[in-house]
Order: sequence, then C-alpha cells, then structure tokens
Amino acid sequence: MIHYTKNPLIDDSIPENIQPLIDEDITQFLILKDGHIIGQSVDHIEGVYIENFDEALSQKRDLIETLDNEHNNPADSYQYVKDNATSGLVIHVTKNTVVDDTLHVFVVQEEHDLVHNTIVVCDDNTELNYIEYYVNNNPASNNIVTQSFVGENARLSYTTVNQFDQKSVLNIIRNGRVKRYGELTYNIAEVSDALSDVTTNVQLIEPYAKSYVKTVAITNQQQEARFEQLVEHLAHHTEGYIENYGVSSDTSALVFEGIGKIHKHMKQSVARQQNRGIVLSRKARLDANPLLLIDEYDVIASHGAAIGKIDEEQLYYLMSRGLSKRNAERLIINGFLSPVLDALDSDALKSVFVNSVERKTQDL
Amino acid sequence: MAKLEIKNLHAEVEGNKILRGVNLTINGGETHAIMGPNGTGKSTLASVVMGHPKYTVTEGEILLDGDNVLDMDVDERARAGLFLGMQAPAEVPGVTNSDFIKTAMNARLEEGKKVKLFSFIKEYDKAVQDLKMNDDLPHRYLNEGFSGGEKKRNEILQMKMLKPKFAILDEIDSGLDVDALKIVGENVTGMKSDDLGLLLITHYQRLLDYISADRVHVMMKGRLVKSGGMDIIERIDSEGYDWIKQEVGIEDERVLPKEDEERTVLGTCATKEALDL
Repeated sequence: MIHYTKNPLIDDSIPENIQPLIDEDITQFLILKDGHIIGQSVDHIEGVYIENFDEALSQKRDLIETLDNEHNNPADSYQYVKDNATSGLVIHVTKNTVVDDTLHVFVVQEEHDLVHNTIVVCDDNTELNYIEYYVNNNPASNNIVTQSFVGENARLSYTTVNQFDQKSVLNIIRNGRVKRYGELTYNIAEVSDALSDVTTNVQLIEPYAKSYVKTVAITNQQQEARFEQLVEHLAHHTEGYIENYGVSSDTSALVFEGIGKIHKHMKQSVARQQNRGIVLSRKARLDANPLLLIDEYDVIASHGAAIGKIDEEQLYYLMSRGLSKRNAERLIINGFLSPVLDALDSDALKSVFVNSVERKTQDL
Repeated sequence: MAKLEIKNLHAEVEGNKILRGVNLTINGGETHAIMGPNGTGKSTLASVVMGHPKYTVTEGEILLDGDNVLDMDVDERARAGLFLGMQAPAEVPGVTNSDFIKTAMNARLEEGKKVKLFSFIKEYDKAVQDLKMNDDLPHRYLNEGFSGGEKKRNEILQMKMLKPKFAILDEIDSGLDVDALKIVGENVTGMKSDDLGLLLITHYQRLLDYISADRVHVMMKGRLVKSGGMDIIERIDSEGYDWIKQEVGIEDERVLPKEDEERTVLGTCATKEALDL
C-alpha cells in the first residue's frame, strides 16, 4: 500500500533561491514546497497529467498501484518513502504525446523533513524532457524516491540537479523501467554538500530498450557521498551505458559503484561503462568500482576507470596562454563536469550548476 | 624594441642533459629559424623557454627585455608576451575554444576588466575565416577530436588573438598538407611586424618558403652549431646535414645516444628469454 500524508504549509511564497530560476527560458514549470504546489506555469500541457501526490492517489490510484506492484524495490529507504511520503508528484504523459517544451520541477524543503515520491509515467510513443531541481532551506533529512516508466517507443530524458546543504543528509533512489524500443536517459548532477547515498536503477525489461545513465558529482570538505548506478538487462538486445565523472577535494570521499548486469539468455545486449575522476587534494578520496555481471556469452560489454590528478599537460597548455593556475584548474574542472551541463537548457540552471562547482572548489 | 636573450642555457629532463649551452638573441621584428635533425634538442628549447614543468634548467639564463624569464611561472611568461605554438597541444574536453581564448585575453587585462563581447566575437570570427577553419570552431571543445592540421591552425589562431611579443612555433608545419601550410604561412607572415619576434622550429625548408627567416640556426647535440642566412637552408635541402656535422666535427648529432634495440628471434618466447630459461 502507498501512503501519503500532507504536512501543513506555513508560508506559500516562492523562496528567494527559486525565484531567479524561473526565467524566460522556462515555459513549463511547477514549484513544490513541503509537498504543496505553490507555483505553476499557466498553460496546461496537452496530453500531460501533473498532480500533487495526494490528488493523484485519489484520481489515479489504480495506475499508481499497478506500477508499484510491477516494480517493488525491497530497499528499506524505498519502503520508508512509500509509507511516509509527505511530498510528491505524479506526471503522466498519455499515449502518443510528444511534449515539446521541457518540464521543470522545483522541489523545496522548508519546514519539514523531505520525504518525497515522484512518479513519471511515459506511455507508449511519447516524448518528455524533464528537469528537476531539489534544494533544502533548513537542516533536514531528505529521502527521495523517483520512479520512471518508459513505455514502448517512448523517450524520457530525466535531468536532475540537487543542492542540499552540509547540515542535511540525503538518500535518493531512482528507479527506471524501459519497454521495447524505449529510451531512458538520466543526466544526474550531484552538487550537494550533504552526506549522500544515491542509487539509480534502470531495468531494461523488453528487447531493444536502451538507457544512458550519466552522473557528474563533486564532493568537498568532509563530505562523504556514494553513487550507485545499476543497469539490469532483463531482455535480449538491450543497451545500457553508464558514464560517471567525479571530482573530490579537501578531505571528502566520493564513491561510484557502476554495475552492468546482463542476465542469462539476454543475447546481443550491450553494457558499457566509463568512470573518470579527478582528485584535487592529497587527503581526498575517489573510488570507482565498475562492475560487469554477465551471465550470457553473446554480448558486448566494456568497463573502465581512470582517476588521477588534474592533467599536467592540460594545465601547462592553458597556463601557457596566460591563465593563472587557479583559473586553468577551474576551467578544466568545469569542462570535465560539463557532460551533464549540456542537458540543462536554461541558463539560470546552468549557472546554478557552475556556481556550485565553483563554490565547492574555492579552496583549491 | 623588445628583446629575447637566451644565454648559455643548459637544461635536463629526468637526469638527461638535453640543452648544452644555447645562445640566441632575437630582437622584435626579427624572424629566426632553428633547423636540425630529430633528437637534437629543438623542441626542448621551445618547452624550456615556455616553462614546461618537466624540464629543469641547470645553467644559463633567459631574459625578456632584461627581465629574468626563469623566475616566472608559465602563465606569467605568457602574460609577459611569450607564446609557444605547440607541436602536440593538449586536448581539453568540455572547454570551448572561444571560452578558453576569452579567458586568456581577460587574463591579460587589469583585474576587473573584461574584453568587450561584441568586438571579441567579430575578431574571433575573422581569425576563423582567415585560417579557413569551420564556423563551428568557437563552440567545439579545445582541440578535442581535432585533426593534426586543425590543431596547428588553432595554435596560429590563438596567436592571432593573443598578439604576443615573441612567438615560438614548434614544428607548426608537421601534419599540414600543402594547402594548410600555405594558409598557416600566410597568416604568420601577415602577423609579422616590428613588434613581433618569431622563432620557427622546423625540419623542413618548405615552411620557410612561406615564412621568410632573417637568420637560420642549426641545432645539434643541444647547441646551436651553425648560424647564417637563408643560404644554409638551400644547402641542407640539397645535401642534408652531413656537411655541417663534418664542419663542426660531430659524428652523432643526437643529444642522447641511440639505444640498442633488443631483438628476439621469431619462434622463441620473449618471456622465456627474459627469464633466461
């Protein structure tokens, strides 16, 4: 059973750190504060249902429960969010709908701990570009579950930026399921200062399903963060690509656990994985554990990890054009973390990302 | 007038002495060329002047308008007016060419000042056209996936934008086809002025067909062993370097002795041999 309780909303104004992000680049948006929708773009998007979780639960209970039975994750934190959510959204793109404008969702923690559940359902033959931004305004424990269902021949680009401060803890589980010819792309920018444990699971459940999971992460000070990406091939001819880019500085520790898992009989599947990392200080730590779990002969698979200091030759090259060492390093790090930056299609969100990177490397 | 002086320069890499007393003075407005066979220290000289961290200077000095260059960091040398067009420039993913060059130009201005965006774009576009590069260059990542020729042209483009006092072009002609060589040559020649000192490092005389040099030096064994005018080049082109070797009494022109190649007979296992089984 899925439960949902709503906390009272004390102040319905749009927080100061969200206001500047709603600029002219953003046409479709929604702002959720402590589980209440406090702002929304005027236009209704044809063929798209977006509702607060409690509304949706009364209107679309059958759909939500069917999906939940289909994809039940035994992890404690997942069950916790399911039982105790106080914030959440349901987005349902109905069959044959192509959404042209990117949908932006801003989720704000203000008074209460964040226990958040988002469900994104893309029916067959749909297309959605979804960007979410999470931020906390008070110290809190934050538990987030998001579930994406990508139907036959549907495309979902799921981009997420989260910025939780040092005084908070963060646990995120993202689940994605992809059907025949469907494509799910995760662009994940982890620029929080919080102690973080983040898991992204993708299940390719029908032939020709495809998924890209791209994560960039940066840790600093005493932060510890763990990012797991699991792509499971549960059908033949499926393709999964994992790319991780990490930067760790000060005395922080960052761990990537990428897993490509091809089950028996899932012939002609492709599982590829690439990890890259830059360690900026002597006491910082960055681990990448690229795993391939393969129970079938007829597959294509690769994995790799390269972790080191900032490339000396790159540094020398930039400095030989007059950039100070500090500037050269900043440029290299920003460039290194750019693979996800390109997915953010608003300049305001891009600068949120760039400023976070800047802030997290300022002691360099 | 600007002046670059290299005096009795000795440098080594990983304990190997490469430069063994280089003396060279270049005045603003002059173009010098250094030629010489492989492995004689030409590129090392270029890297040492720019300050590559791999090399250690053990003796001698480099002065730019009287200021000690060896005391400066790489970026300070650049801002003082030195430029090195590199043989194998690094690729920097995620950093666009235009962002990079804009940052480099801003670094030359006073604190808080920035290049004007509009005039920057105009100037950059013009340089892209002059070098006959693709329009998408500003948005492409710095040298990433560039062909050898594109990289070299990009070096010249940067030189155009940064307007150095002294530019060293290290084998800027290698990897260029005839057309590209012509474009690069024309652009470099177009930049010549009384304010620019040029040092060309090359294997072939063909670069000097497009960029004329006032003085030509030949490097062997980590030293400039012969200097003269363009006539030297013609003779090298037809006769090779042997006559110079004879003239200065050098048998092996290289800085480091040739390593004996280890050979193994096909059919025997190299591991086995190594283990002496």
